[in-house]
Amino acid sequence: MTLQFARFIPWLPIVAAIFCALCCTKKSWRHYASWICLASVVGSFILSLMAGSIITPGKEAQTVTFFEWIHAGRFQANFHYYFDTLTIVMLYVITGIGSLVIWYAGGYMKGDRGYARFFMAVSLFIFSMTTLVMADNLLLLFLGWEGVGLCSYLLIGYYYDKPSAVAAGKKAFIVNRIGDLCFILGIFLTYREFGTIAYEPLFEALADMEHATGSVAAIPFLFMLGAFGKSAQLPLYVWLPDAMEGPTPVSALIHAATMVTAGVYLIARMMPMFVLSPYALPVVATVGGLTALFAATIALCQYDIKRIFAYSTVSQLGYMFLGLGAASSVGAVFHLFTHAFFKALLFLTAGSVMHAMAGQLDLRKMGGLRHKMPVTCWLMFAGCLALAGVPLFSGFYSKDLILGDAMAAGLNGHNPWMTVLAWMGLFTAFLTAFYTFRLWFRVFWGPDQCVMGDDHHDDGGGHHPHEPHEMPWSMNLPLVFLAVGAVIGGMVCHEWMTTMVLSSSAGEALSHGGTAHHASLFGMDVHSAVMVLSIAAALLGIALAAWFHLIRPSAADRVKQSYAGLCDLLENKYFVDELYDAVVVRPLKLIGSVCFVIDRLVIDGMVSLVGFAPRLLGLTVRPTQSGSLQGYGLSMVVGLAIMLLLVTLMWGY
Amino acid sequence: MGLDIALLPLLVIFPLLSGLMLPFLGGDDPQRIKSFALISSLFTFVFSLGLLVGYDFSNSAEMGLVTDVSWFESLGLTFSFGVDAISIWLVLLTTLLMPLVILGSFSAIKFRIREFFFWLLLLEAAMIGVFVATDILFFYICFEFTLIPMYFLIGIYGSSQRLKAAKMLFLYTFTGSMLTFAGILYMAWCNGSWDFSFEALSHAHENMTTNQQVLAMLAMLAGFAVKVPLFPVHTWLPLAHTEAPTAGSVVLAGVLLKLGTYALIRLAIPMLPDAALVVAPYMGILAVVGVIYAALICWVQKDIKKLVAYSSVSHLGFCVLGMFALNVQGLSGSVMYMINHGLSTGALFLLIGMIYERFHTREMSQIQGLGRVMPIWATFMVFFAMASVGLPGLNGFVGEFLTLFGAFQSAVLGPAYAAVAGLGLIFGAIYILHMVGKVVWGPVKIPQGHENDAKDLTGREITVLLPLAILCLWLGVYPMPILRTLDQPAQAIMERVGTDLLEENQAKPPVRYDYHSHVRAEISSDATLTLKTLSEGGR
Repeated sequence: MTLQFARFIPWLPIVAAIFCALCCTKKSWRHYASWICLASVVGSFILSLMAGSIITPGKEAQTVTFFEWIHAGRFQANFHYYFDTLTIVMLYVITGIGSLVIWYAGGYMKGDRGYARFFMAVSLFIFSMTTLVMADNLLLLFLGWEGVGLCSYLLIGYYYDKPSAVAAGKKAFIVNRIGDLCFILGIFLTYREFGTIAYEPLFEALADMEHATGSVAAIPFLFMLGAFGKSAQLPLYVWLPDAMEGPTPVSALIHAATMVTAGVYLIARMMPMFVLSPYALPVVATVGGLTALFAATIALCQYDIKRIFAYSTVSQLGYMFLGLGAASSVGAVFHLFTHAFFKALLFLTAGSVMHAMAGQLDLRKMGGLRHKMPVTCWLMFAGCLALAGVPLFSGFYSKDLILGDAMAAGLNGHNPWMTVLAWMGLFTAFLTAFYTFRLWFRVFWGPDQCVMGDDHHDDGGGHHPHEPHEMPWSMNLPLVFLAVGAVIGGMVCHEWMTTMVLSSSAGEALSHGGTAHHASLFGMDVHSAVMVLSIAAALLGIALAAWFHLIRPSAADRVKQSYAGLCDLLENKYFVDELYDAVVVRPLKLIGSVCFVIDRLVIDGMVSLVGFAPRLLGLTVRPTQSGSLQGYGLSMVVGLAIMLLLVTLMWGY
Repeated sequence: MGLDIALLPLLVIFPLLSGLMLPFLGGDDPQRIKSFALISSLFTFVFSLGLLVGYDFSNSAEMGLVTDVSWFESLGLTFSFGVDAISIWLVLLTTLLMPLVILGSFSAIKFRIREFFFWLLLLEAAMIGVFVATDILFFYICFEFTLIPMYFLIGIYGSSQRLKAAKMLFLYTFTGSMLTFAGILYMAWCNGSWDFSFEALSHAHENMTTNQQVLAMLAMLAGFAVKVPLFPVHTWLPLAHTEAPTAGSVVLAGVLLKLGTYALIRLAIPMLPDAALVVAPYMGILAVVGVIYAALICWVQKDIKKLVAYSSVSHLGFCVLGMFALNVQGLSGSVMYMINHGLSTGALFLLIGMIYERFHTREMSQIQGLGRVMPIWATFMVFFAMASVGLPGLNGFVGEFLTLFGAFQSAVLGPAYAAVAGLGLIFGAIYILHMVGKVVWGPVKIPQGHENDAKDLTGREITVLLPLAILCLWLGVYPMPILRTLDQPAQAIMERVGTDLLEENQAKPPVRYDYHSHVRAEISSDATLTLKTLSEGGR
C-alpha cells in the first residue's frame, strides 16, 4: 500500500474548519461544529494509524509529494510530506490526544456563543500542527509553526471581552515571533550553507560531515532560539503562563500536549545538525535544566490551579530539552509522549473543577471537593502520580530515562556539567512532586470549602449551579482514556518508543556519536542509581506536601511567614514580566514616540514650506483660495511644453 | 492578431474615454453615474484578462504584445506599448482593484459624484499607462499625470487637512520627478541619441562611466524613491494617506506606490547596472532603516488610518530591500511584495473606510471591541491583519520571505541586512496586534451618538472584500502561477547587472554538500573581486 492517502491528514481538519466557519453564521447550526471537528480529527487519527502501519521501525523514510509552494531561482519549498517514525509518533500524539480533548470540549464549551468559532480554530490548529510535523522541508515546517501560533493567538483571546485574555494572546504571538525570526534566519543560513532546505538532501549532506565549522555551527543556535520561543523556555517562557486565559481544553491541547512541544520536535528532527556542533547540545541541556528548576520554583507558590499546571508544563518541557541536550532523544520524545497524556488529563480535570466552581481557580477558595466530584478527584490523582514520577506511572519512565542519560553523559566524562544538570533535575523532581500534591490535597482534601466564581454558564436552561457538581460521563469518558494512558503509557510504550525514535533521523544521528552507558554512581549502574534517587525524590515531595497541606496546614503558614520575602518573590514570578516591561517594552515604545515626533517635525516643516511656496509663486501666478493647483498645473504644462520643445528641437538634428 | 495590437492601447484608452464620457452622461441620477463607472472598470478588468491569453509566458522576460502608436508622425514620435510578466501582474492588480474601489465608494461619496468617478477613471488610465509604456516619454507623461487626479481626489473629498495633504503630495512628488526627468535627458544625452524607447536607453550605460551612471541614478531616485516612498523621503505619505478618501488611500497604497518600485525595477536598475551595484548597499540600508523606523512609529499611532499609512512605509522597505538584493529571490520577492501589499493593505484601507463611514472617527480610543457588534467586519480585519504581518499561508509571507531571503543570500547585501530587517517581523506583529487588540477585541466602545450605526457589513461591502480575501489566501498557498513567471525577468535583470556571475560563484551544489573551507574562501574573494571590477571599472 502506498502512502499517498497520508497527505490528507492535515487537509481533513481544514475542510472541517471551513464547515465550522459556516456553522458560525447561523445560531441553529452552531452545535454541529464540535461533531464536524471531532469527526475530521478522528479521521486524521485513523489515517495516521494507517500510515503508522506502513512506516514501521527499520523502514526507510518516505516522501509524499503534493504540490509546489514557493520556487524562485534554485530555491524550492514544496507542500511535500516526510514520513519517518518520528513523524508517526508526533501524529499519534496530535490526532489521538486531539480527538480526546475535542470530545471533552464538545461538552465543556456547550452553551458558549463562540462555540463554532472555537472548533473552527481548533480544526485550523490540527491542520497547522500536523503540517508542522509532516513537512518535508523547513519552510513548510515554518508554515505550521506560525499557523499554530495564529491558532494559539485566536484561542487564548477566545474570551475577547476580557482585556487580560486579549493581552495574553498578543503577548504569546509577539514573544513567539522573536523566536520565529531566529528560526527563519536559521532557514536562510541553512540554504546558504547547503543549497537546500528539504530534509532528505539535508540529512544526506550532514551525514558526510564530521564536525560543523563556521556558519554551519551557528545554525543550531538559531533553531534553538526558535524552539525556546515556541516551547516556552528561558528567556522566552513568559507567554505560556498568561496563555491560560484561553478556555481550558485549549490549555490542555495546545499549551500542554502539542503546540509547545513543537520546539522539542524541531530539535529532535534537526538532531543530525545539532550533534555536529560541539556547543549546541550542551547549551540546549543547560537552558532546559535551568528552565525546569526555575519554573518549578515558581509553581510552588502560585494559587491559580491552571497557572500551577502552566509553570509545571514549562518545567516539564525543560526536562525534554535537558533530554535532547543529553543526546537522549528517546527520553525527550518519550517524555513528550507521556507528558501529553498526563498533562492533558491534569488540565482537563482542572477544567472540570473550574467548570463546577463557576470559573473559580483559586486554591485558597476551595477544599474537600472529593465528596462532590469523586470521579474528577481520582482522575486527577492518576495524573498527579504520573507528573510526580511515582514508579510504574508513565511520567516515571520517561523522566527517569532523561535523568539517567544526562547523568551517564556527565559521568562518562563527555561533559561534567551534565552531572550538575542531572542533580538539578533530580531536585526539580522533588519540587514537582511537592507542588503537584500541594494542589491535589488542597483541592480535594482538607476542610470542605467552596467559594463559587462569577462565571455564568449560559447553557440555556437557566441552571446556575450553587454547588459544585460532577461532570457528565460524556465528558469524563475521554478523561478515562487519558488516565489509562497516563497510568500505563510509560510501562507499555517504553520499548516501542525506543525503537521508533531510534529508527528516525533523531536516532540515527546519535548512533554514530555512541554514548556508552557504562558509568556507575554509588557503586550501582547509573540508570539504576538515578531511578532510586528519583523515586526517593518523588516520595519525599509527596510526603512533604501531605505534611504541609493535609496533616499540618498550620506548619505551612509558619514556614510561609518565616520566608515571607522568598515567597513573595516566587508568588510574583521573580518579577520577570516587570523586568521585561521596563527593559524592553518601554524603551522601544519610547523610541517609537521619539521617531514619531521627529517625523511630525519634518512633516510640519514641509507643510509650512508648502504653505509658503505659493506666496513666492504669488508674484507670478495669483493663487486662489481653493488651492494653488493652477500654479502647479501651469508649471507642469510649462514643463511638458519645454520638454516637448527640447525633444522636437533635438529631433531636428 | 487584432487582439495583439489593440489590447495594450485599449487598456489605456478605454478607461480614459469612459472617464471623459462621464461629464456628458445625461441625467443627474447618481446611481447611473456609479453604475457606469463600475461597469466600465469591470470591462477594463475583463480586457486586461486578455493579457493572460495574449502574452507568451514561456518567454516571460521578453516584451510581448508590442505596439507602436504614432503620435507626431512628422517628428517620428510614437507611443510604444509592451508588457512583460512583471508589468502584466501589476496591470491586473490595477484593473482588479479599480472596480472594487469604485464599488466601495458607492455610499462614501455624497457630493460631486460625477467628478469623483471621472478622476478615478482617469487615474486608472494613467496608472495602466505607466505599466504598459515602453518608451520613456509616454511612461513619464502617465507617471506625472497620476498626480492630477490624485490631487483632486484628496483635495476635494479628503478629511480636515486635505488641502495641505494634497499640496504636499503634489509638490513633493513633482519636484522629485522633475529631477528624474533631467536624469533621463542626461542619459539620452550621454547615449547621443534622442530615441527615448526603453530599448535604446537600455544601451545608454555602454556610453557612460560609472560616475555618470551614479549621477543619473541619483536623479532617477529623486523621483522614484519619493514615490515608493523610501525613508527618509516618505514624509508626504502619512498625511496624504490619512487625509485621502478611502478610494484614494486604496489606490495610493495599492497602485501608486508601486509606480515607484516598478520604475526602479524597470528603469533604474537595468538601465544603470553599474550604478545599481554601487548604490545597492546604501539603498539596502535606507530600506532597512525605513522598515524599523516606520514600524516603531506605527506602534504609537492613535489613528488607525495613520497606523496603516505608516505600515506602508515599513512594508515598502522590504520591497526595496529585495529589489536591491539583485538576485532572483530578491527581485521576484519584490514583485510579489508589490502585488501582495496592494491586496492586503488595500483591503485594510477599505475596512477602515467602512468604519469611518459608520462612526466618523478613526481614533482607536473611540472605537473598540467591534468583534462583538460587527463580527463579519472583525473577521475580515483579523484576516487581512494576518496577511499584512506575513503569516505563512497568506500572501504577505511569500513576498516577505523572498525579499528577506534574497537579501540574506545576496552577493551585494548580506545576512546583516536580513537580520535587521527581520526585526520588522516582530515590530509588524506588535503594531498590527496592538491595533487589532484595540479595535476588534476587548469590551465594546462606540462613539456617542453612533450606537445605532454599529451595523455589520452589507452585501455590497462583503462583495468588495471577498475577492481580495480569496486572492490573499490563494497567493499564500499557491503563488506559483505568478512566481514561476518572475524567474526569467529577474534573471534578465541580474544578467544586466552582472550579479548572476556572483551568484554562480557563490552557489552551493544544490544537493550534495562538499565542505572545503579553502575553496569557499577562494570563491568569496573571487566574488568580491568581480564585484569590485564591476563597480569601479565602468565600461
